[in-house]
Amino acid sequence: MAEFFEYLPLALTLTNLLTLTLGVIGGLILGATPGLSPTMAVALLVPFTFHMDPTTGLILLGAVYTATVAGGAISAILINIPGAPANIATLLDGHPMAKQGKSQTALYMCFISSLIGGLFGMLIMILFTPPLAKIALKFGPSEMFWIAIFGITVMAGLSSGSIAKGLFGGMFGLLISTIGYSPLLGVPRFVFHDVLTGGVAIIPALIGLFAIPQVFSLAEKLDVHIERPDYKPEKGVLVKTFVENLKMVKALSIGSIVGSIIGVIPGAGGQVSGLIAYDQTRKFSKRAASFGTGNPEGVVAAESANNAMVGPSLIPLLTLSVPGSPTAAVLLGGLLIHGLFPGPDLFLTNASVTYAFIGSLVLAQLAMCIFGLAMSRYSYMVMSVPNLFMIAAVTVLAVYGTYSVQNSFDDVIVMFTLGTLMYIGRNFGFSAAPVVLGIILGPIAEDNFLKGKLIADTDVGAFSYFFTGSMNITIILLCAASIGYSIYGEIRAIKKLKER
Amino acid sequence: MRRELIISLFLLVLTIGLYFSLSLMEDPRAAIFPKVVIIIMGVLSLALLLQSIISRGKAGKPALQSDRIEEKKNPAAQPSFPIGRLLGCFILIVVYLVVMERVGFYVSAFLFFIAVTFLLDRKGLTLRKGGMRVGIAFVFTGVLFLLFNKLLVVQTPKGVFF
Repeated sequence: MAEFFEYLPLALTLTNLLTLTLGVIGGLILGATPGLSPTMAVALLVPFTFHMDPTTGLILLGAVYTATVAGGAISAILINIPGAPANIATLLDGHPMAKQGKSQTALYMCFISSLIGGLFGMLIMILFTPPLAKIALKFGPSEMFWIAIFGITVMAGLSSGSIAKGLFGGMFGLLISTIGYSPLLGVPRFVFHDVLTGGVAIIPALIGLFAIPQVFSLAEKLDVHIERPDYKPEKGVLVKTFVENLKMVKALSIGSIVGSIIGVIPGAGGQVSGLIAYDQTRKFSKRAASFGTGNPEGVVAAESANNAMVGPSLIPLLTLSVPGSPTAAVLLGGLLIHGLFPGPDLFLTNASVTYAFIGSLVLAQLAMCIFGLAMSRYSYMVMSVPNLFMIAAVTVLAVYGTYSVQNSFDDVIVMFTLGTLMYIGRNFGFSAAPVVLGIILGPIAEDNFLKGKLIADTDVGAFSYFFTGSMNITIILLCAASIGYSIYGEIRAIKKLKER
Repeated sequence: MRRELIISLFLLVLTIGLYFSLSLMEDPRAAIFPKVVIIIMGVLSLALLLQSIISRGKAGKPALQSDRIEEKKNPAAQPSFPIGRLLGCFILIVVYLVVMERVGFYVSAFLFFIAVTFLLDRKGLTLRKGGMRVGIAFVFTGVLFLLFNKLLVVQTPKGVFF
């Protein structure tokens, strides 16, 4: 906690505050735009931060991450389309409220409860991250290798309807990360074309895998037209909503606690936290029957939960390099291009940048609430941007973002090729997130695998080195549990479908 | 599910091909990690193949992609897949990348914006709407020029123009 306050002033410089403000406003707009996923928004922004000071760059990415989660509630409430998976629970009562002419109240409730939940989650993050990092400091190559594999198993289960496809995607990502010259021996691997000589860099892969499939998806949906939502601003609603919101202690508490607990579990994600908090609040509510028909408690529970998840979801990312959500995986890429390697050393070697980043996330929650409330009345404008313009804008920004990192046209070709393949893969049930995580964690996995193998060959043998020891066994069990839970979920889904 | 069978067979063939490509590496030590990854990929593609065979064997048994099953159940609700438009989008991007290398980032971005907005959707296109699209393309490119060239001062792909 002392370090947090020591480095907080770094986030309070004029440049950083301005960046944070722009990031929050941009994040709210991107989150509210149907068809643009928050993950893609953060992926497109990563190259822009490349030329910035690391602290400023990370503040921008953190602000966008925080604001897109809340911004996604705007389209969920007004037009019944969640801007992000985290906002699915919000529309259950948020949209019925809008249909009853209470759009303004629903949006105000959403931002106030997001702020309360978000601050609670940040407190959990500040309290628990440094102690966990100290434990992770004891990890050797075998544990770090298993942690990388754990990250992939988590993302494979989270992002795909089929764990086998998710894991295949993760392994394919690991393989892509080996393209180019071997770091240890300097020999070329899988260089089937000159374009691949330098390997596949993280940014072109990130942008290609998230942005290009989105471009093609937008082209698929050109015929979809969104009706202009009904929003009638009235005076005095803010104070009334604020007081009413604070009275919903039960919904706020359940949302904040559930969101924080689920956020810290790698892979559980915001979608689950919002839905569980919504369900629990309904069970404990005296007006349970009115849930789904426009009960404000539903909006409060869902929104406080999905924003409470933001801070804790970064705990495994910062301490173990295991992102809690696809957007956090992209954020991991952002940390890496600034030379910050998440893991136990991060808080020792880059304490100033790390704590300033954490501090900025607290400020981003406040800014998200202020600008969210202020922008509520104009939010419908964002939703009326035609897909045609988004196709052109996203493609141009993707090309620029890719080129700008190394001034290389080869990177643009790699980006577009990977993106097109991902779009085809997506139609066959594959997700981008495990592939991206495989590419990001590939060097960590290979480096620690080879280091571990060297130690094992001169010591106890590969099996004993990688498969024994309490830490190794714990992480292997976590990997198995992650895969097992996903298989269980698939079987349950099939059974439910059969019953229907 | 025929498509599941085809994709799992494709993945298996891809994995086998990748495994044999390992022999092309100059130093076998560089292939240790990729070999482990490819073996796991092979196991997973076999699992997918088995899964699709079992699903095919049990008539009416749903696969794992629940949303796709819902779509199959109600084919009338599915909009037709706009393959022509997607192909058009793909070609436009390829042409944009080729042109960009020759004329530079800003001019190609402007032309691409106009091409996308005019060629992908021509329904109800009037002179006023067309003018608006050109105007938006101009403003968008202008904002990019100011942002990248003046504010951030970063390099963009150069061509015969700027």
